[in-house]
Amino acid sequence: MRLLVVEDSPDLSRQLRTALTEAGFAVDLALDGEEALHLGLTEPYDAVVLDLGLPRLDGLSVLRRWREANRTMPVILLTARDSWHEKVQGLNAGADDYLAKPFVMAELIARLNALIRRASGVAKPELVFGPVRIDTASRTVTRDGVPVRLTAMEYAMLAYLALNAGRPVSKTELTEHLYAQDFDRDSNTLEVIAGRIRRKLGEGLIETVRGQGYRMVPPG
Amino acid sequence: MSASAGRIAVSGSLTRRLALTVAAWVAIGLGITGWFVLRLAAEQIEAAADQRMVSLLDAVIAAAELDPVRGPILARPVSEPEFERPLSGYYWQMTGPDGTVNTSRSLWDQRLPPARPDRPPRNEDIIGPRQEPLRLIERHVELESRTGRPPRFQTVTVQVAVTRVPTDEEIERLTRGLVLAFLGLGAALVAAVALLVVWALSPLKRTQEEIAEVRAGLREHVDVTAPAELAPLVQEIEALIEQNRATLERARTHVGNLAHALKTPVAVLRNALEREDLAGARAQAATLERLIQHHLRRARAGALAGAAGSEASPMAAASTLAQALKRLFASRGLDVTARGPEGARIRADPQDLTEMLGNLMENACKWAKSRVEVRVRPSRPGMIAIEVEDDGPGLAEGQDAAALARGVRLDEAAPGSGLGLAIVVDLAALYGGTLQLERGQRLKGLLARLELPGRILPGG
Repeated sequence: MRLLVVEDSPDLSRQLRTALTEAGFAVDLALDGEEALHLGLTEPYDAVVLDLGLPRLDGLSVLRRWREANRTMPVILLTARDSWHEKVQGLNAGADDYLAKPFVMAELIARLNALIRRASGVAKPELVFGPVRIDTASRTVTRDGVPVRLTAMEYAMLAYLALNAGRPVSKTELTEHLYAQDFDRDSNTLEVIAGRIRRKLGEGLIETVRGQGYRMVPPG
Repeated sequence: MSASAGRIAVSGSLTRRLALTVAAWVAIGLGITGWFVLRLAAEQIEAAADQRMVSLLDAVIAAAELDPVRGPILARPVSEPEFERPLSGYYWQMTGPDGTVNTSRSLWDQRLPPARPDRPPRNEDIIGPRQEPLRLIERHVELESRTGRPPRFQTVTVQVAVTRVPTDEEIERLTRGLVLAFLGLGAALVAAVALLVVWALSPLKRTQEEIAEVRAGLREHVDVTAPAELAPLVQEIEALIEQNRATLERARTHVGNLAHALKTPVAVLRNALEREDLAGARAQAATLERLIQHHLRRARAGALAGAAGSEASPMAAASTLAQALKRLFASRGLDVTARGPEGARIRADPQDLTEMLGNLMENACKWAKSRVEVRVRPSRPGMIAIEVEDDGPGLAEGQDAAALARGVRLDEAAPGSGLGLAIVVDLAALYGGTLQLERGQRLKGLLARLELPGRILPGG
């Protein structure tokens, strides 16, 4: 899952990038409102973490302009002030959730996962594909009830395909959503990762659709 | 002054404004009065001069005779020596029926304007033989010819002309004197008003100096013995100073409380870190955060103590909040509705009403199965009740009984007590309202009833 994190405090943005990368997200950072606006308009993000107090262009304006341009990715607001007056402004400008500073990183990650799931039209945190169960809240995967260890990249690819189950996902789309902007992208590694997932969870879980990419068969 | 000079626009000097207005009115008033006085005086002077001329004319006529040979002559001298002195400025001239003209010696070889027996007698200003201004009056009289038998009466035109110079000079002297006197009077009036203004405004100046001294910490209070017009202003300022002092006192207390409240968790946190007890450290960090939240909200509530006079619409606040909360709880598809008169107004700052309602409605959304209802209605006279009801589990069993039995008021609700209603209680109390929790009758969940001072706008 690819995230845009918009936060002008260098310390907090560094912490956010580290924690969210460890949690398996591909993270792009924007340090001011104008950069954030541009990235949000041009790159396909699965979710955005947006600070309200930003230099050059404030967070609410950035959010409004994304929504005016029909960018529908889920947005979670971060702010130091948590009065309802401000929450209402943020939510009615098009934000999907709201987190007041100081916050616990685990809370942010849980809410991000919930928002991404909701945006994919999946209500429950657990996705079931035959013997394989993917818990998007705790980010754990079991096969026949036995926990399976996946690397961050393997989990990211599996979760993205699972959330878009039934639809072939191209390698370009996967690359866009699994890697941060400044990452050296090489589509061959996707094949390697898909191979490793199949070895760990069963060959039939991920289908290769010739010329179109990968697909997972919907649960149930 | 320096601190706030940027926001105070100086709109001209009161003294100058008053002085200019008074000067304009004095100029107009004295000008008109002066002109009238002058006109009256000048008319008086001219009337006197005319009167004297008429006497002279009468004297000439009384002494006149019509001589058959020499025409009209003076039978005896007139008692005015100036008629004899050449070009003296006093002249007479008589014209007989056959055109013979006789004049006073003073006219020398000059003549007054020719007689016009067929036209009304003149009374006008003319230019005399020495180019001096003269006043001329004439009369047509019937004189008896001394030789005719029976005697015949024939028309003779008698003219008298007298220099205007002394009259004009007198009028000019009077004018000069009057103008000088009125100018002096005007200047004195304006100066008096300016002095009056300065004197009347001097208490303001004194008050300003006293306020400056209060600001500098040299005195505690502004002197309240001010003139009646200034007393309310001074009282307001005194109240403002008092309020500032109270706010400062509250702020000091808040900071003291905060520092005190933070000390213990910080001490525990330090110990936990030394023992590398991560769980303990985390718990203390959480406590610190809760304390910061609690004190921030209290500080905001305290700062708003003076924000009287504003009104907020509970229906507007509830609708905006419903919209935001539906988005926040989008995955649960909650039905959040608000019902009540649109004209309802709560006497509170709109942001504070949103804060109170937001907390209650979010709480309801958290526990609701599918529905949250907000109802606004007048309760007691002067009070508006806002009820937030959900279809959730309501209060827990133990709490439930206690709460329902006592119609509980959560005044002592501690921060982080789980209800998150402490701020609502604080704010409601600040605005003279109350919060009660009970079991809902309609949706069977929790019912939070917020009662606040307010009114229903007519026609709303």
